[in-house]
Amino acid sequence: MIFKIEDVTVYFPYDNIYPEQYEYMVELKRALDAKGHCLLEMPTGTGKTIALLSLITSYRLSRPDSPIKLVYCTRTVHEMEKTLGELKLLHDYQVRHLGTQAKILAIGLSSRKNLCVNTKVLAAENRDSVDAACRKRTASWVRALSTENPNVELCDYFENYEKAADNALLPPGVYTLEDLRAFGKNRGWCPYFLARHMVQFANVIVYSYQYLLDPKVAGIISKELQKESVVVFDEAHNIDNVCIEALSVSVRRVTLEGANRNLNKIRQEIDRFKATDAGRLRAEYNRLVEGLALRGDLSGSDQWLANPALPHDILKEAVPGNIRRAEHFVHVLRRLLQYLGVRLDTENVEKESPVSFVSSLNSQAGIEQKTLKFCYDRLQSLMLTLEITDTDEFLPIQTVCDFATLVGTYARGFSIIIEPYDERMPHIPDPILQLSCHDASLAIKPVFDRFQSVVITSGTLSPIDLYPRLLSFTPVVSRSFKMSMTRDCICPMVLTRGSDQLPVSTKFDMRSDPGVVRNYGKLLVEMVSIVPDGVVCFFVSYSYMDGIIATWNETGILKEIMQQKLVFIETQDVVETTLALDNYRRACDCGRGAVFFSVARGKVAEGIDFDRHYGRLVVMYGVPFQYTLSKILRARLEYLHDTFQIKEGDFLTFDALRQAAQCVGRVIRSKADYGMMIFADKRYSRHDKRSKLPGWILSHLRDAHLNLSTDMAIHIAREFLRKMAQPYDKAGTMGRKTLLTQEDLEKMAETGVQDMAY
Amino acid sequence: MAGGQVEKRVKYKSSVKDPGTPGFLRIREGMLLFVPNDPKSDSKLKVLTQNIKSQKNTKEGSNKPPWLNLTNKLGKSHIFEFENYPDMHACRDFITKALAKCEEEPNKSAVSTSSEQLSIKELELRFKLLRENSELQRLHKQFVESKVLTEDEFWATRKKLLGKDSIRKSKQQVGLKSMMVSGIKPSTDGRTNRVTFNLTPEIIFQIFAEKPAVRQAFINYVPSKMTEKDFWTKYFRAEYLYSTKNTAVAAAEAAEDEELAVFLKPDEILARETRQKIRRVDPTLDMEADQGDDYTHLMDHGIQRDGTMDVVEPQNDQFKRSLLQDLNRHAAVVLEGRSIDVESEDTRIVAEALTRVKQVSKADGETTKDANLERLERMSRLAGMEDLQAPQNFPLAPLSIKDPRDYFESQQGNVLNVPRGAKGLKRNVHEAYGLLKESILEIRATGLSDPLIRPEVSFEVFSSLTRTISTAKNIIGKNPRESFLDRLPKSTKDEVLHHWTSIQELLRHFWSSYPITTTYLHTKVGKLKDAMSNTYSKLEAMKESVQSDLRHQVSLLVRPMQQALDAAFQHYEADLQRRTAKSGGERPNGYI
Repeated sequence: MIFKIEDVTVYFPYDNIYPEQYEYMVELKRALDAKGHCLLEMPTGTGKTIALLSLITSYRLSRPDSPIKLVYCTRTVHEMEKTLGELKLLHDYQVRHLGTQAKILAIGLSSRKNLCVNTKVLAAENRDSVDAACRKRTASWVRALSTENPNVELCDYFENYEKAADNALLPPGVYTLEDLRAFGKNRGWCPYFLARHMVQFANVIVYSYQYLLDPKVAGIISKELQKESVVVFDEAHNIDNVCIEALSVSVRRVTLEGANRNLNKIRQEIDRFKATDAGRLRAEYNRLVEGLALRGDLSGSDQWLANPALPHDILKEAVPGNIRRAEHFVHVLRRLLQYLGVRLDTENVEKESPVSFVSSLNSQAGIEQKTLKFCYDRLQSLMLTLEITDTDEFLPIQTVCDFATLVGTYARGFSIIIEPYDERMPHIPDPILQLSCHDASLAIKPVFDRFQSVVITSGTLSPIDLYPRLLSFTPVVSRSFKMSMTRDCICPMVLTRGSDQLPVSTKFDMRSDPGVVRNYGKLLVEMVSIVPDGVVCFFVSYSYMDGIIATWNETGILKEIMQQKLVFIETQDVVETTLALDNYRRACDCGRGAVFFSVARGKVAEGIDFDRHYGRLVVMYGVPFQYTLSKILRARLEYLHDTFQIKEGDFLTFDALRQAAQCVGRVIRSKADYGMMIFADKRYSRHDKRSKLPGWILSHLRDAHLNLSTDMAIHIAREFLRKMAQPYDKAGTMGRKTLLTQEDLEKMAETGVQDMAY
Repeated sequence: MAGGQVEKRVKYKSSVKDPGTPGFLRIREGMLLFVPNDPKSDSKLKVLTQNIKSQKNTKEGSNKPPWLNLTNKLGKSHIFEFENYPDMHACRDFITKALAKCEEEPNKSAVSTSSEQLSIKELELRFKLLRENSELQRLHKQFVESKVLTEDEFWATRKKLLGKDSIRKSKQQVGLKSMMVSGIKPSTDGRTNRVTFNLTPEIIFQIFAEKPAVRQAFINYVPSKMTEKDFWTKYFRAEYLYSTKNTAVAAAEAAEDEELAVFLKPDEILARETRQKIRRVDPTLDMEADQGDDYTHLMDHGIQRDGTMDVVEPQNDQFKRSLLQDLNRHAAVVLEGRSIDVESEDTRIVAEALTRVKQVSKADGETTKDANLERLERMSRLAGMEDLQAPQNFPLAPLSIKDPRDYFESQQGNVLNVPRGAKGLKRNVHEAYGLLKESILEIRATGLSDPLIRPEVSFEVFSSLTRTISTAKNIIGKNPRESFLDRLPKSTKDEVLHHWTSIQELLRHFWSSYPITTTYLHTKVGKLKDAMSNTYSKLEAMKESVQSDLRHQVSLLVRPMQQALDAAFQHYEADLQRRTAKSGGERPNGYI
């Protein structure tokens, strides 16, 4: 359908539209007009992504003189693929109605591992070895060497891409990773470098958060994006965590050992170069005197991860004299390693601010703050000079330099925590020195500064006023949308008691109680026998899930569940989990029915949809609180309290409930879909916990469903499923339109938007 | 040819170029036997006459030696070289006779009375159907063998069964049970520490399917290195070690015993398969791709111990395998279903067949681009939002319920089942009514009390009402037959059902023969009519024979059948009269 929002003609690829989607577009357009940032919360299952994409692409079409670029950030690669899938649909529609002028170039961008087509490189196991294997074939000095020595192996795809030079362009279209690979294979061009190159021409770029938020990655990939870009962070309820993760580093004993080995290797290389090619080292020294840590223009294949500190914090001055010479730098690093080793030997937990850490480092090891700051750049320069390609081998020393640079750069918003062991496993000594960032606004600040509009959107952003404070920005639009329901297609319930009427909870003192475990099991046994197709269960942690499943296995509950449905489980092994999910979907597709056991805060809860028959019921076992004794969490809570006056308990509850809402929210994808949500913990019945749930769940949570036992829940579930199986009017009844057609929109345009169905 | 047997000296050749094995050919009516002169030779041969499809021979006078070539139904040919032509002719004649006799017999194999030649495949399919469906077999016997219907006529109405669908359907495989193999508990004799495991082929199949390493080990070790029993003993020993979760002991035992170690080590074949499969998963699910994209996974980057992550016990211990992995693997195997069609007791055959299947599917996975294409198509379909667009019409897949009647009858049974917990309280309607009446009287006398009506009374009334209503509905409802049937003695029930199916069969043929356009149809209708009147009288007889209390209901059952037959008879008579009237002057309608 095609309609107008003020002066913008919107091309929307469906015949109907939800009223909230329309509202969402209106608000989004206002934010774009104002060239400001915005914060939009809209429940899952109302088509956020497509509304967003179609408005922004239409906005671009309506302003041909100043075309905006869309940078769409997703949390995961599979979400990226999903977004590109929707964009494809939209693009087809727009091209059908507008012809070639609607053509855009949209690409997904990922790491070498996901884009490489060279089978020899792909044979490497993980990302780092793929990166290294690629560098071994594409680094400039390797290629230079190959002109003399034909035995040096190069990558044909990269060579072809280089040969094509500026002619290597992608024709307009929407490219998923798979499409990029297919295109690259077809043309014989390297898809990774092609995609990297196309970033500056593309109208839509879809990539993961880190490409913008992590300075190490953003520095090389996103540095050329123009200001007239709209940046979207989708599913952004966890954005604060991503931000602080991007600036946190930790050092373990193995890191130090590895770093020492790396230094030995570097030392050998330096000696070798001294003997054979002393000129190179001298040239490097001269460059450093001039204040250029890096050679001006590195070819794409030589690029490293950029400096971990944020661009505006990096000093543009010459590298300090005491680390300009390669040997001296190695000595400084040795002293640093030694100092860190001593600190790791502690028997108590220590917490320190970066300032005091730096000063004690200065007094004990004689390394100044400014020297620390330049560590990373200096290392990078050295490794380029020494022509080192097996970068995965040198990860430990990079980590240490990361740490040094960060600790030298930031005086506030960080703390250093040294723990001799994990307090949950005190018998295993595992000392760790962590530099943890507490201030989420640090990492995202350059994004807000650089781009004219940043859109932060998710299904759960409540309380919506908290996010601007955590991320310290001022949105021009901040709104939370309700969901207009055609029928009550979600059925949240709070289960407080088991079938024996005893309370259930995952509270620390109750979680291992056999009665609770049995009651949780019985709940599932009963539910799988009445719920069709897919059922998803979320547990509070891996260890809890592991334990409860083992108990269910011993007591025969698991066997009872298996009589009704197949059982699939999320494990710590990502590959296995992916296969389990794939099988789970197939089991739901073929009618066999299945249960999926998963973990809140796990990878599955973060980004996998259990829509339609893939999830008719979600059971959230317990309240997914963070491990509150964690030193890092404590430090962060302290920081939040001091800086934003956010109370500890409030933040913990907020965090736990956003996770729970996130888990259960995955069952709904559209209004034709339906699903039940069971919050199985007595603590959910308390008002202070429950009220933190997003509004769209709360509005369906009836008072009668707040304090249920298993048998009552079963009864409600039966009723609900029977009701949902009836045919219904999709367009909505009794004056409340939940599905708008073109005419409805036109009528609304005449009378004004205020007459909307809300 | 005395005693219906000939014996000739021949040379047997399995192919034209084969020099031939000298020996004796002995032909009896039922079969053909070749005994080589050299008792050590393995070319001894035995062919049943009914398996011979055709025979060919070289012509006398051509310069070829006297050869007789018999082709069996599988298309394999046996060539016999005789010493002279008369010998060969004698044999040929004998076989011809035997073959003819074979066909004449009302044997199931003799179906070639029809003009169209049936392929062997079709025949086999027919037999298979008859074998699988006893009802069909009975009908077949009743009508075809009593010559009411010819073989072709019988099958003509069942083309659907013979169609492609049925071939596929008949291959519908029984799935696997959901129970975990680890769920099999050993039985103990109580006195010693000895445990006994009972292994069924099904369990073995599951073990092999879930653990390719065990399968491979079986192929490698049994029987060359150890007996099957030893193998399984070792296997369960390994399983026991797992269950104790004592990795140190497991490691120690594995170091001593390399065969045991095979069971304890991580499964490499499985790991390889996993790597294969991960490339084919739906990209919108592929979390593995994240790992390559996520820079926080870089060693020591990101936050390590903030409590969101879990403490992971060191997983790299190679003798540790988690229950969760087992569960996932098991469910995947169940979902895959029984991929092989081997129903053998021989464990080795099963193991080899499974290995073969896996190899084939692996080869498939590498070549098929279709799967990839389909995946992308699916993805784009799923990208859309279902209720914002016009409904998509997906092709329907037919439900494959083998016998719908079984299904519906079992459903009906559920309705009639007494609710749980009420088993001890079976009383009839009158009693329930009485109870209710009593308590009403009581209320009248003593006034309202708490509770108003005693729960057991209300329950009684309620359940018997429900039951009466549901049975009454069944009696009055569209399908009266079924509810009575359960009350009839089994023999009567079967008889009624059989009559019903046979009447249906007859009527189907009867009505499809009209209008009568050929003499062939004419005779057919005549035969059918006879058979029908036969059945009719049988129905009458049955009605007489049943017990008096059931007679009314049986007659109710039988009435619609008789009515249907009556209608057929009427039509027959009317048609006959019209035809005799017409046949005087002009040609019958449509008669060519």
